[in-house]
Amino acid sequence: MAGFVGFHRLFVANRGEVAARIARTCDRLGVTPVFGVSEADADAPYVEGRESVVLGPARAAFSYLDPVRVVQAAKQARCTAVHPGWGFLAENPRFAALCEQHGLTFVGPPAHVMHLMGKKTPAKDAMRAAGLTLIPGSVGVLADAEEARRVADEVGYPVLLKAESGGGGRGMRVARSADEVASAYQDASAEARAAFGDPRLYLEKLIEGGRHVEIQLLADRYGKAIHLGERDCTVQRNHQKLIEESPSPVLDPEERARTLEAAVRATEAIGYVGAGTMEFLMDEDGTLRFMEMNTRLQVEHCVSEERSGIDLVEEQLRVAAGQPLRIRQEDVTLRGHAIECRINAEDPSDGFRPTPGALEAWEVPAMDGIRVDTHVRQGYVVPPHYDSLICKVIAYGDDRDQACDRMIAALEGLKVEGISTTAPMHVAILKSDAFRKSDYDTRAIPGWPA
Amino acid sequence: MAHVPLTPIGRPRTDVLDERAWREHQEKLAPLEEKLRARRAEVESGWGDKYVERVHAKGKLTTRERLARLADPGTDLFEVGTFVNYGDTFGDKPLTSPAAGVVTAFARVEGRWCMVIANDNTVASGSWWPRTPEKIERAQMMALRLKLPTVYLVDCSGLFLPEQSRSFPGAKGAGHIFKMNSLLSASGVPQIAGVFGDCIAGGGYMPIISDRVYMTEQAYMVIAGAALIKGAKSQKLTSLGIGGPEVHVHQSGCADVRVPDDETAIDAIRREVARLPSSAADYYRGGAGAIEPAHPPRELAGILPVDHRESYDAMEVLARLTDQSLFWECMPHIGEEIVCGVGKVGGLYAGFVINRQGLVGDPEHPDEHRPAAILYRGGIAKVAAFSRACNDDGIPLIWLQDISGFDIGTEAERQGLLAYGSSLIYTNSTNDVPMFTVLLRKASGAGYYAMSGLPYDPVVQLSTSISRLSVMEGRTLAIATYNSKLDDDFEIVTQDEDERREIAEGMRAVEKRIEADMDPYVAARQMDTDEIVELGALRDWLEVFVEASYQSTGHRRIKNPRIWSLHDLRELHEGIR
Repeated sequence: MAGFVGFHRLFVANRGEVAARIARTCDRLGVTPVFGVSEADADAPYVEGRESVVLGPARAAFSYLDPVRVVQAAKQARCTAVHPGWGFLAENPRFAALCEQHGLTFVGPPAHVMHLMGKKTPAKDAMRAAGLTLIPGSVGVLADAEEARRVADEVGYPVLLKAESGGGGRGMRVARSADEVASAYQDASAEARAAFGDPRLYLEKLIEGGRHVEIQLLADRYGKAIHLGERDCTVQRNHQKLIEESPSPVLDPEERARTLEAAVRATEAIGYVGAGTMEFLMDEDGTLRFMEMNTRLQVEHCVSEERSGIDLVEEQLRVAAGQPLRIRQEDVTLRGHAIECRINAEDPSDGFRPTPGALEAWEVPAMDGIRVDTHVRQGYVVPPHYDSLICKVIAYGDDRDQACDRMIAALEGLKVEGISTTAPMHVAILKSDAFRKSDYDTRAIPGWPA
Repeated sequence: MAHVPLTPIGRPRTDVLDERAWREHQEKLAPLEEKLRARRAEVESGWGDKYVERVHAKGKLTTRERLARLADPGTDLFEVGTFVNYGDTFGDKPLTSPAAGVVTAFARVEGRWCMVIANDNTVASGSWWPRTPEKIERAQMMALRLKLPTVYLVDCSGLFLPEQSRSFPGAKGAGHIFKMNSLLSASGVPQIAGVFGDCIAGGGYMPIISDRVYMTEQAYMVIAGAALIKGAKSQKLTSLGIGGPEVHVHQSGCADVRVPDDETAIDAIRREVARLPSSAADYYRGGAGAIEPAHPPRELAGILPVDHRESYDAMEVLARLTDQSLFWECMPHIGEEIVCGVGKVGGLYAGFVINRQGLVGDPEHPDEHRPAAILYRGGIAKVAAFSRACNDDGIPLIWLQDISGFDIGTEAERQGLLAYGSSLIYTNSTNDVPMFTVLLRKASGAGYYAMSGLPYDPVVQLSTSISRLSVMEGRTLAIATYNSKLDDDFEIVTQDEDERREIAEGMRAVEKRIEADMDPYVAARQMDTDEIVELGALRDWLEVFVEASYQSTGHRRIKNPRIWSLHDLRELHEGIR
């Protein structure tokens, strides 16, 4: 069968834009996607004419986030594989294991690799061993405040004390000088114990500002990995990425080559399978320092697709079905410049307040070099229960300026009525001098008032 | 791919217990586990620093230093029999014998689990005390059952002679060690010995059946030392001269390799182990890896109430022992008083049997509830079928006991619990899959036997600091003893004040004695349990046991899950889907 990748029926354990994105590749390959949907999404336009199974009520904890319901639904729908998309259960190793135990192929890495990458210091240890540069700090967890002080003196202030089992900024404290270490250690440790039941901390030098650069990786089950270049995601608001582009406008070619190679080696070393992303912080010297690995498809994967011409979802499915990578590194050609803007149902001039509601009008202009990934159409009601991403616009050009200009034209041609979106902010950013000259870091949005 | 339908179990600790109960449980347990740690440290220190210095003065390592060098860096030793002879004294002096003068431990060497048997040279130069031979034989039996390479670190001046009548003769007398050496050898279990010092008489035989025998320059092996040879003094004969490496490596061929010192010997033994086949555990993991439980195993210290009358949720215990807290409960609708099922430990499948606590449904009387923590007909049949299936399928079995016994009374007899019990006993007795038993709390009566207590030959039986091992609770036993003096409600019949006082005192005395006997250190002292462990460390121990069960290939049937008879049981029980 033309395009057959090994699965006849694929369960899509996600919603909205990513669900529609996965289905698009399925359609092309002759795979039947079955959507697991919450009651809130049961009548969404992207589900029309599709097979779907209702997982449960709108609240994600009882639908998209319940591993047992998802597995039952997938089995019931006679699917043989599950694509978790991003968010929800995508990085839940227990869910990955559950799928495998029940005879569903999980489209992603093996549970134990996902688990390893989800743990702070073991992941760093693995990456250090594979030759990646890390943010200077403690090797493993700290024994006590005394050791924290010693390591802090070594790496230089300010430093960040972070919970080993942490997340979401809890169990985290900054020490700006030696006399702040002891109390920062106590506070972070106590908070970590209360929040995660684990008081252990590790320490990193605090790099303020810096740029966020990440590498797209793809690996098969046979120990072979390739990269699809880097993405620069420095335009952020509270760690939420707004604009992603490739290549990074500020990355030194030698540093790029060195890190890409090390990242591929590291991916192979940990036995990674599928699509994954390593995130780095670029410090003021231009060095890329490993932060974490996202063991899933990313929202901004389209940027790499546009530059490489590779459909990442298709490659994910092929790898999951046991096929060896069919692309060699030397066959990957990264061309031109791609930029993605995330259009969220938020009002950027009102503190990014979510704006759920009906799209009274929705029109996206068709233009050269513009790709639009979305699950919405006119009349769609943005539900209040989930994240606010409604659309991604990806602009491609021979160079950064062309890509930016195309993006501006597309966004200015975008017609939305009924809700506010982040589109006007994107236009302002793209037109700003700071953005055009690449003069910004993660602390502030270029061209947009704080 | 084989489907083993594990599902998530367990709740966060904060949902299981409120803050007050959690703190209370922990506070009650803490002193008991503190005592355990203190006593372990006491045993580990042997006869103390003076004897350590004496060993060092000879240019030798202490036994514990040898063990530390033998095991892979950064790994823990899992010692069994720590408290054998604890509190006993011997001879006229009287003398203590910490750990019965021999350390027996599961140790990871070059990535393989080994059983290490090491005479403690800081306790009477590694003499054999009463129970020392039994302790060594028990460790050899564990090695035999798991087919684990066995390492002997020999440094033994022979029997502690004043007490020879308690260690020389008998079915488990010292000579049985060499029979075990032979059985291990006959079963193809690799044995490697290092001889580090005195090896007199029996001490000389312990290494000699091993596949490879290393001798240091300070080692000698003799049937009888110079002390027993007539004229030895005038001829200036020494034991080292009679049976040192010069003699045994180069002339007699009783040993294989001569090495200068302890360090070299240990390193050489590590290289021997490295030549053995690597562990099959990773093969059986099938490319998957070990992942810790989703709910922290350390929380077991606090989830389990110290008071044996208080109940808890058995699933919460399993959730803190199984990988990712994923578990497949088999036949959940039958015999609710006990949970049977499969989970992974360190990436490897294991069968679990654990008693439920509190009240459960009663199939005979659907509107009523009955106490769990005992076995009824349905539960016994379920456990027997599950145990048999695990044996067929080659799945190591873990028995988690907190049980007061079998159901009793007219209904129980009419239902034939004796017969149900006998089927379970037959099953467990004839299983050859490795079984491991943990006495979480209560281990009473027929329940202790039915759930593979030590008399049913589990490879290892662990106790906790709150284990209560006895035929019945003290109060029940006092009632049984004074049965003829009691009425229907177990009240004293006689109205005579003196007689009443006497009976009451007698019952109290019985109760007190049973209470004292239930102390886990008593069981450990007399080898009625293999080790006492901290609740929070239970998962670590199970990881060792399960991995050790999967280590060796070629002798046990660890089947592909597609052909597990457990799946047939599921279909039969739940209907074909």
